[in-house]
Amino acid sequence: MKQETTWPKRNLDVCTRCATCMAICPVARVTPLFPGPKQAGPGAERFRNSDEPSVDRWIDLCIGCHLCDMVCSSGVNISELNLIAKAKYLDEKGRPLRDWLLTHIYLFGRLASFLSPILNPLLQNTVVKWILDVFFRIDKRRRLPGYQSPTFRQWFRGHRFKSEKKVAYFYGCYANTNEVDVGKATVQVLEANGFEVVLPPQKCCGIPMLGNGDFKEARRMGLWNVPSLLKTVNLGLDIVFSSTSCGNMIKHEYSHLLHIPGAEELAQHTFDLFEFLRNLNGSGTLNTHFKSIPKKLAYFPPCHLRSLGIGFPAFEILRLIPGLEIDFIDADCCGLGGMFGFKKEKYDISEEIGKDLAEAVARLKPEIVLSDCEGCRMQIRHLTGLEVLHPVQVLRDALQKEG
Amino acid sequence: MHYDLIIIGTGLSGLMAAKTAVDTGKKVLLVGKGMGALALFSNTIDVLGTLPAGTKLVEGLSQWVQDHPEHPYGKVGVEHILGALISFSSLFTRSYTFASAGDENSDMLTATGTYRPTYLVPNTMLSGTPLRKGEILFVGFKGFKDFYANYLAHPLDCRGITLSLSGSSQGELTASAIARLLEKDSIRKRIGEEVKRQLRGEVRVGFPALLGLNDPLAIKGDLENLIGTEVFEVPTLPPSIPGKRIFGTFRDWLLRRGVSFLMGYPVSKVVLKGKRCEGVHVSHPPVANVHTADRFILATGRFLGGGLVADEMRIHEPLFSLPVSQPSSRLDWFGRSFFDDHPIYYAGVVTDSSLRPVDKRGERILENVWIAGSMLSHHHLIKEKSREGIEISTGYMAAKHVLESP
Repeated sequence: MKQETTWPKRNLDVCTRCATCMAICPVARVTPLFPGPKQAGPGAERFRNSDEPSVDRWIDLCIGCHLCDMVCSSGVNISELNLIAKAKYLDEKGRPLRDWLLTHIYLFGRLASFLSPILNPLLQNTVVKWILDVFFRIDKRRRLPGYQSPTFRQWFRGHRFKSEKKVAYFYGCYANTNEVDVGKATVQVLEANGFEVVLPPQKCCGIPMLGNGDFKEARRMGLWNVPSLLKTVNLGLDIVFSSTSCGNMIKHEYSHLLHIPGAEELAQHTFDLFEFLRNLNGSGTLNTHFKSIPKKLAYFPPCHLRSLGIGFPAFEILRLIPGLEIDFIDADCCGLGGMFGFKKEKYDISEEIGKDLAEAVARLKPEIVLSDCEGCRMQIRHLTGLEVLHPVQVLRDALQKEG
Repeated sequence: MHYDLIIIGTGLSGLMAAKTAVDTGKKVLLVGKGMGALALFSNTIDVLGTLPAGTKLVEGLSQWVQDHPEHPYGKVGVEHILGALISFSSLFTRSYTFASAGDENSDMLTATGTYRPTYLVPNTMLSGTPLRKGEILFVGFKGFKDFYANYLAHPLDCRGITLSLSGSSQGELTASAIARLLEKDSIRKRIGEEVKRQLRGEVRVGFPALLGLNDPLAIKGDLENLIGTEVFEVPTLPPSIPGKRIFGTFRDWLLRRGVSFLMGYPVSKVVLKGKRCEGVHVSHPPVANVHTADRFILATGRFLGGGLVADEMRIHEPLFSLPVSQPSSRLDWFGRSFFDDHPIYYAGVVTDSSLRPVDKRGERILENVWIAGSMLSHHHLIKEKSREGIEISTGYMAAKHVLESP
């Protein structure tokens, strides 16, 4: 339901300097180069003046995990203060071409998918990676995600399932061109619950741009997506997302950060996939004809899932699957931070943060790790070498009929 | 979503209430704005620090509840206070454990070189031992501004040294950074060797309370092997790593037991119908999710987290608008001197013996809402040195009342 009041934009004055945020910040605990949320956010904000040039050289080290916001007992929206300061700093200092490339990957998605047989080996090629490292400062130690063909959208075109009940799906760039089975599994699970899935016209949600402090570009994506998605909402459909990052962007950042008209209305009808399934479970309409999955898995909640403020619905639903041993990984941020960990100057920080997660996984010894965010999945594969899936893929397997 | 119980507040009393409720299979939602105040305190468990030295806790508490029936301990009763402490300790069984010194308070060394009475002490900290001159070498870290080895050592007639941790001398090092570094074998080896070199007959070495998050006992043990003396940690200024250990232990345990854990967003509104609460709105603009339940525990703390709010004239409780017992005049909130007994400390929500809120006439205001934690009235956390004891026992008791209510 709709909130009556909107979030105060810059309530830094309620900060009591208690330093709880300092206890939780994943960046501050691995590098002294970042002063930590207390100083970077409300601390420095007291000195910032919009007429003066930014001196926040370290501000782009804030990974945007929102964990500081989650623990602040005074309700300061620290990561937002950081992001606004980052935008100003980058507006003044300029953004490298590399950042434009990384944040506009969606433009090349379909082409990359089409060329994937040639492109994928190239992306693993040592020489290519060296060129990307030296000329674009994309760290060569980072494994670049491969593309798949056909895309999710192309697969969906050949798909038929009709039902009275319909739900719209915002699949996100990554599920469309890089991890098509996540999109497929989402559709299959929704259909197993009697919903016909509809794909409204959609573009990249814009979170890569936002994460890089490019409010203008992020807003442009939102201004395109919101009217399109609202059309679907006005037909009486809810919208689900399988990427918690896309979801957080659409449901929260579109409205109070980017002020996109209609975003507040859209947010009331947009749900995380597992939040949607949990609601079905609450009203007794969830398909729970699960077959046994006798595996030992571990679940990692992405930062954007935490900031969605819905708890951990995927973990709750997965616990219903018989035979499944599912553990909760007690680490807070994977360290990838979207495009953050791809950048040469941030790769080591990203790796160092990730080490804590890798150790937490090692303590649990799962066969497979699950996470709702494509970034986390990439990072966990990179850190542990284990198979990493979206929870919906396991749920789909549990619902599939024998044979 | 509908739950058997919704607990509002993720501080120690909310966590304890959740543990108690879920032990019997109830469907519980724990929702809170942050992680409570655990990251701010030294996180040894104070029960009643003002007891004269040598008093057994059970006797001291029995006398106390007789003398102070309005106190939260009076509402819980000695048997349940002890039960709550046992329940709390039972969560900490592997590396990090809590124990009392012979069922009495003991004197805990603080980071200013003074002593503070406390009851349950983690196995990595030192208390109850009278110290001799030159017995301890205190070790601080360069760039860590929340602990000063020399300052602490001075009143104890001991020595303090400051080590450089990382190769680069880049300004500040945070508590969480150091706690993390100490979990690395190579760093510990370097520190151990350096401290050993600098020993001059000391038999104990004291570090700030940063001996890692996951396995503090192993880190303590490793340093003891490397240095050749006993090693202990001293709680210091916030952010508190011991507090993070406690929070993390509760959170992981609760999640594995199926508690729905929603941290980071405040409850903005409650849905009331007569004397019953039906649900809460968890606000996250632009949406607010509604969660309903049969029973509720309110454990939102005092002024820091906003469980109690003071304006220029009055203190009020913002969620349920419960009456807050307070001095009749604003002028009477504080004594004249900083260390005076300030009446505002005793302000809080008044309840009956079942921990449900009552009005001035003693009539119950809400039938299915129980109050726990520091927001209760008639206690003085600082003077009594009773913070964690009140939080743990009232959280435990409120959940017990919930479980027993028809």
